[in-house]
Amino acid sequence: MLTLHQAGLTTTPAISPLSGTLRPGELLAIVGPNGAGKSTLLSMLSGYRPCEKGQLRLDGKPLHEWPITELANRRALVAQQELPGFDWQTEELVSLGSNPSKALIAELLDDLDLTHLAKRSVLSLSGGERQRVMIARGACQLLSRRTPKARDGGLLLLDEPTSALDIGQQQRLMRQLRAWAAQHMMAIVGVLHDLNLAGTYADRIWLIHKGERIAHGRPQQVLTPETIADVYGAELQPPNSSTANSPFLALAP
Amino acid sequence: MISSVNVYRNRLLLPMNRQTRVLVGLTLALLIALGWSATSGALGLSPWMVISGNASELSIQIWWQLRLPRLLLGVVVGAMLAGSGAAMQGLFRNPLADPTLLGLASGAGLFVALWIVLFQGSGAGSLYGQFAAGFLGALSVCVVIFAIARRQGGGSAAVMSLLLAGLAINTLAGAGGGVLAFIASDEQLRQLSLWGMGTLTNALWRTTSIALVLISVALWLLIRSARELDLLQLGEATAHAAGLDAVRLKWRIIVATSLGVGLCVALTGVIGFLGLLVPHCLRLWLGPGHRLLLPASMLGGALLLVVADTLARTLGAPAEIPVGLLTSLLGGPYFLYLLMRRNRAC
Repeated sequence: MLTLHQAGLTTTPAISPLSGTLRPGELLAIVGPNGAGKSTLLSMLSGYRPCEKGQLRLDGKPLHEWPITELANRRALVAQQELPGFDWQTEELVSLGSNPSKALIAELLDDLDLTHLAKRSVLSLSGGERQRVMIARGACQLLSRRTPKARDGGLLLLDEPTSALDIGQQQRLMRQLRAWAAQHMMAIVGVLHDLNLAGTYADRIWLIHKGERIAHGRPQQVLTPETIADVYGAELQPPNSSTANSPFLALAP
Repeated sequence: MISSVNVYRNRLLLPMNRQTRVLVGLTLALLIALGWSATSGALGLSPWMVISGNASELSIQIWWQLRLPRLLLGVVVGAMLAGSGAAMQGLFRNPLADPTLLGLASGAGLFVALWIVLFQGSGAGSLYGQFAAGFLGALSVCVVIFAIARRQGGGSAAVMSLLLAGLAINTLAGAGGGVLAFIASDEQLRQLSLWGMGTLTNALWRTTSIALVLISVALWLLIRSARELDLLQLGEATAHAAGLDAVRLKWRIIVATSLGVGLCVALTGVIGFLGLLVPHCLRLWLGPGHRLLLPASMLGGALLLVVADTLARTLGAPAEIPVGLLTSLLGGPYFLYLLMRRNRAC
């Protein structure tokens, strides 16, 4: 769906050229230390910062050649939290940017455990609730603007979608993202801080450090104690054999 | 930001019938106010008397030449000030934005005063010059304010510096006006004080007709931007991904507001706080969606200004209170109240 051919940014904050493909039905996690350029990379993938080197192609067509409104049918972005200036109702905010059916709104609110907040003003919600509202809005844009000829569910870009969620809501959200990816053939890209969350739910991981992708692949390949110690400067406990199929990282006391 | 008075307000998702209902209701209220305004005042002439020919030639003449253009000017100026207030609040994503508070109106005023003092003439040329001066004044303030907003990014710091910038611009324009009054000749001074107080007294067909056309264009540009203003509320990056060309939207609103507010100021002087008061009250009632808020604000602004102007004409008749004084008396305390409520919420 989205392919990168040595795409990068030369002006600061810069991103070293990288190649790869985002595939429908797949959940990709972008991880890396603070200030590594994860959000910058995400805004390059969304086309908000046009790539300055190499090329980004969506469905075979260079990203910058897409008309901005058509592009909005194919990819949505949920940026990091910004407080909306006015008191929208949850339902209204979810439908901003598209013209969804009532059934779709109801379905998405239910998916993210927001049904009881449908009529509430978003300014009265907690940070975690508001975060889920914005994620529902992104999904709503893709699903309700999906054109008949589109072969897949489009590209959903999420910047730290779990930053304000408790552990139960984190699990619920990550499972829901997997479900959306499978059910609607969406490609979902999430910038994640929690490596265990990324390791448990993502199909693939890109590890970014100082604007450069230094490792990519399946979680087991990327999240090795050596790499983590190297990149994050964090000291981990020795790996435990009971978590063989997905890596679980614990800090040494 | 706005605290949760009406959190549980059971607002529907803007079905057409509600939108139509609100707009038709406001239009009716405006028509009633116009009827009342047309019949009250020193003349005591009703439109009915004019139509039926049941009045003296002279008073009919006065009604057509003075009263009617004044009513229409009140409608477009009120609509423009309130509509631009709503649009700017949407653009800055902040309910405290307003063309008077941010210095647009006083910037336009300073340029108009400059025009009067430096290039004083009394032909038709000076009138267009005054319009152009108002437009340029508002536009340059707009550009300055945007540069500041851009540098500061989002958040409450940006709002604070916007309001402070508005304060600085207002003070500067006030001082500039003082200097101009000091160096002006007696004739210019008379012209300045006639113009600068914020009244609809100067309404003549010659000026009102131009205002009607140009301000209608500006209003239309604003109404066309309603859906995009809604999108912008998501923040710029997210709105871009949802299909919004934010740069085009900003420029369209800057040009429309500067054109409209500049013209209003050139014609009537500074009439304050309509742009703050009207959209804010309506937003509490109708919710923040601009597809309804923008046209409703325009109707509400027209309504408020027509009523205020009628009161200004009749309260102290035969003397006339500048209507700008009335709206500031109403709006100033309301603004203070808003500030206090915001501080409590933070």
